[in-house]
Amino acid sequence: MDISVENVTQIWKSRNGSKVTALDQFSHQFKSGQFSCILGPSGCGKSTLAQIVGGIEKATTGTVSIGAADNPAVTSIGGPSVMVWQSQNLFPWRTVIDNVAYGLEMAGVSRAERYERARVLIASVGLKGFESHFPSQLSGGMRQRVALARALILDRPILLMDEPFGALDAQTKIVMQEELLRIFDETHKTVIFVTHSIDEAILLGDEVIVMTARPGRIKEVLPVNLPRPRSVEMIGTPEFGALFDHAFHLIRDEVTKAMAEQNAAAGAKL
Amino acid sequence: MNEERSWSGLAEKVLPALSIVAFIGAWQIFVDYNKIAPIYLPSPLAISEALLAMIGDGTLFTNLGATLLRIFAGFALAAVTGIFFGLLMGMSRIVARVADPWIAALYPLPKISLIPLLIIWLGTGESYKIVISAITAFFPIVMSTYAGVRQVDRGLVKAALDLGANASQAQLTVVLPGAIPTIFAGLQLGMGVTIILVVAAEMIGGSARGGMGSLLIQAGQVMETEKVFAALVALTLMGAAIMKGQQWLDHRLAPWADHR
Repeated sequence: MDISVENVTQIWKSRNGSKVTALDQFSHQFKSGQFSCILGPSGCGKSTLAQIVGGIEKATTGTVSIGAADNPAVTSIGGPSVMVWQSQNLFPWRTVIDNVAYGLEMAGVSRAERYERARVLIASVGLKGFESHFPSQLSGGMRQRVALARALILDRPILLMDEPFGALDAQTKIVMQEELLRIFDETHKTVIFVTHSIDEAILLGDEVIVMTARPGRIKEVLPVNLPRPRSVEMIGTPEFGALFDHAFHLIRDEVTKAMAEQNAAAGAKL
Repeated sequence: MNEERSWSGLAEKVLPALSIVAFIGAWQIFVDYNKIAPIYLPSPLAISEALLAMIGDGTLFTNLGATLLRIFAGFALAAVTGIFFGLLMGMSRIVARVADPWIAALYPLPKISLIPLLIIWLGTGESYKIVISAITAFFPIVMSTYAGVRQVDRGLVKAALDLGANASQAQLTVVLPGAIPTIFAGLQLGMGVTIILVVAAEMIGGSARGGMGSLLIQAGQVMETEKVFAALVALTLMGAAIMKGQQWLDHRLAPWADHR
């Protein structure tokens, strides 16, 4: 499902009344069935953008429309997209199976049917046998698998992922990335994946949208033409290296700029 | 190393019980050796005899039953109204704003000071004892329910809405269970003050209707000190049993809250 983001600006008002522009005139066409990564330094508004696309946050100005160009719909929470959060946001009082089946339960699907479908998804993310565990009894990687299954069970056309693997250790992260690549190849959803890892963005994405530091604007859209199915071994190839170098230079400029601004702001305070 | 650990593990289990046994033993020896008059301090043996006699002639269970009934009636009233208003306050800003000055004014008031007024209005019968304990328990319950609702992770609510829950489904499936550990803590506080207030109310009014409080006052007035102690032992055990039972129930109803 196509996503058309036009001139989205997000301004946060802080408590002392000053305004912070998190996102500035962001426009991009996300193509149906594509895996788009949004890469940028922290504070560039990339998570905010994902939440605006999901209808979870409201943009200060600008529009997000979803669907075919001749019949677009305004985005809304619980609409055609579903979010996978960095903090997972699993319900601690629900077991794994009741977390995964939550969306179906809210839609009024019978217990027998939603458990049957949840079991299939739990098995597909490698958590068979953990159905009646509580989230607190699982490792970070396992919790993120539950979060993924909980989102996938709804079979919505758009998958939003907000730094889902950001808090995982390096080994778990690699396993999860490969799993996500496999799921993407099987389902071909439209994916918007927010990350601050250059490796991750290039490995997963069909395109990498590199953001500027605050206020967040698009610095460059980098097409990634690595063949699919992809695997972590591709990180060693020269094509990957060239993309990495290019993205790295873009990001380094932004990070230095952001740091200089922070230093200047700190200096002004003194 | 291992031996040491098993020793300290054993000590951890045995010592608490041993300390009680040692205390009672020391008490008995102290009273016997110094020949203290039972009016001032009866020996543990005399107290247990009195306790057995009270069990034998049925006075203990009649009075304990009356007290328990009042405790559970007062607590149930406070729990239902406290949770109801706490949820209402947590879910509606306007209700919270209206309730705020009332709670701020009434919460610090010692509820026991309402006893004269309640006796004027309700007499010294059952309703006065139940109402005074319910009023007292209402406050910790309503406040922790409100706090529990307020501190529910907003991220979880957003996730629920994103997964297709409507607003009332999100309240029912996220806000309510999210608040439960805090509500339970409030219920435990509420139960504690209910016990205190019921016994206090029984001491002040309605000796004819029984209860542990009136049993204590009556025994005290005629200097049956071993009966006073026996009643205190019974009250202590009752309180401990209620608290333990409540903890067990909390664990059964909210097993996720323990291993967080």
